[in-house]
Amino acid sequence: MPVDHKRINGPEISIPYQLFDKLNTKSLKTQFSEIVQPNGTRADGRTSTEHRKIFLKTGVVSQAKGSAYIELDQTKVIVSVFDPREIPNKTDYSSKGEIYCEFKFAPFSCHKRRLHQQDAEEQQFSAIMKQALESAVFRHEFPNFQVDIYAMVLHNDGAALSAAITAAGVALAHAGIPMYDLITSVTLAVQGNHLLVDPTLEEERLCQVPLFKEEENNHGIVVLSVLATHEQISQFYQSGYLSYACLSSGIEMLTNAAKDIVTLVKKCLVKHVIKSVRIVED
Amino acid sequence: MALCEAEKTFVLHGVEENFRVDGREREDYRPIELETNIVSHAFGSARLRLANTDVLVAVKIEVDVPYPERPKEGKLEFFVDCSANATPDFEGRGGEDLAIEISNSLSAAYKSPEVFDLTKLCILKGHKCWKIFVDILLLECGGNLYDAVSIAVKAALWDTRIPLVKSVTVDGNNVDMEVSDELHDCQKLDVTAAPIMVTVCKIGEQCIVDPNVAEELCSVGAVVIAVSKDKFSTVLQIGSGSLHPQTLLECLQMGEKVAQRLSEALTETLSEINPNKNQDVGFLK
Repeated sequence: MPVDHKRINGPEISIPYQLFDKLNTKSLKTQFSEIVQPNGTRADGRTSTEHRKIFLKTGVVSQAKGSAYIELDQTKVIVSVFDPREIPNKTDYSSKGEIYCEFKFAPFSCHKRRLHQQDAEEQQFSAIMKQALESAVFRHEFPNFQVDIYAMVLHNDGAALSAAITAAGVALAHAGIPMYDLITSVTLAVQGNHLLVDPTLEEERLCQVPLFKEEENNHGIVVLSVLATHEQISQFYQSGYLSYACLSSGIEMLTNAAKDIVTLVKKCLVKHVIKSVRIVED
Repeated sequence: MALCEAEKTFVLHGVEENFRVDGREREDYRPIELETNIVSHAFGSARLRLANTDVLVAVKIEVDVPYPERPKEGKLEFFVDCSANATPDFEGRGGEDLAIEISNSLSAAYKSPEVFDLTKLCILKGHKCWKIFVDILLLECGGNLYDAVSIAVKAALWDTRIPLVKSVTVDGNNVDMEVSDELHDCQKLDVTAAPIMVTVCKIGEQCIVDPNVAEELCSVGAVVIAVSKDKFSTVLQIGSGSLHPQTLLECLQMGEKVAQRLSEALTETLSEINPNKNQDVGFLK
């Protein structure tokens, strides 16, 4: 892997100081029971099916054709979409346009410092984002061209990928790229019998390993993106260890949660249209 | 490979009638050939041939330092190499995207401690652990790579022998370990829960497993389902299409059913392999 020598990188091996925190000695199970009550109420007072409050805004990057900024409480993601350009280094003609996604965590967005180069997780998230957006866009409208989408996570507090996909949908609409439908995405974290919609970073972390014995060893993360009017799932990703029953109820929960966001996305786009009409009138 | 409309319709009708182009039913696999322990420099290896798809997996082991956030765990990493032998499309950096996608899906599938217990690879907490490199070489692509790779990886891990550590001595910051000289003094990995991936392809109104290249071109969308025991360890959608929620659930059910069958067949085949019997046949031998 080529390394950019002009950048000053941190020491090659460093350990986040939080690992040495004395308060961190509690078992994962205690930590989990502290943030999620048995009835499903979470540390921030939400119920298990409740989404965090969303702030969504278009046109934040003036240089880009379309852009959007999304906040899910602490999670902050900025997405920009650039004009279609010819696919670089391509010799044969492709009848469908391509979508290029780049998902990136800002170096300061997580507990541990992220490097400037995309790591495996970011590459995977880029691929998932591409998968999600490909079926939402009229790709035959721009043959042999590619649309670049860049997502930058400024602060990761869980569900960053979902936030990026929802924002990318809005940014594409803002850029005037023809689309079949609005795309919304929601994340689910599973631990035992608890299904938590739109998890925070802490909840995501505690859902990586099984905390309960036997029978209840379901755990994992599910990310699902929906094209609401067509009732289509454009992207689905699950990791962890889940039973069919758990997964199917999770899918239902996520589809409903994703549909709820659509109103908000519409409102945001309408606001943008009204604003641009006013500018023209003036 | 490119198909014309008439060819696509032919494939589609075949799937509809539950009688596919090569005579299989919708839930049937093509014949699979499996060999283990074929690369002498590796700690474990397997080569799998699924009709035209050919995969070679070799496992290497090294001693490493555990991650500071998980001091009690070893490491497991997957590397996929799309050789240009497989198809000219892989020439240069052509196969890179596919390679990353496959290796990421494998790491996701093996991530849960219920699936693969990394704590068994720890030698001394916080200081020394085994790091397993799983190198996957695609020698020929005939469709259905995920399934072929996942079975080959499971077989290679089954075949892997980890040297026995006789003693570990700590002297200040220096950690020394002594590995058994005896060649046959080794541990096997526990792969009973290692996931099997099944690609369920939607063609027309029906779902099929193990698509060949022609069928892959006809599909509107596919789901890769990694099943470990009776649970899902990873599910990811591939291809550019979208699916109705009901179809997704059908795919999941079908994937689970087929993966169980495949896993049983694999366990049976592996138990038939007898290292003491002279079975030197075929590839690389």
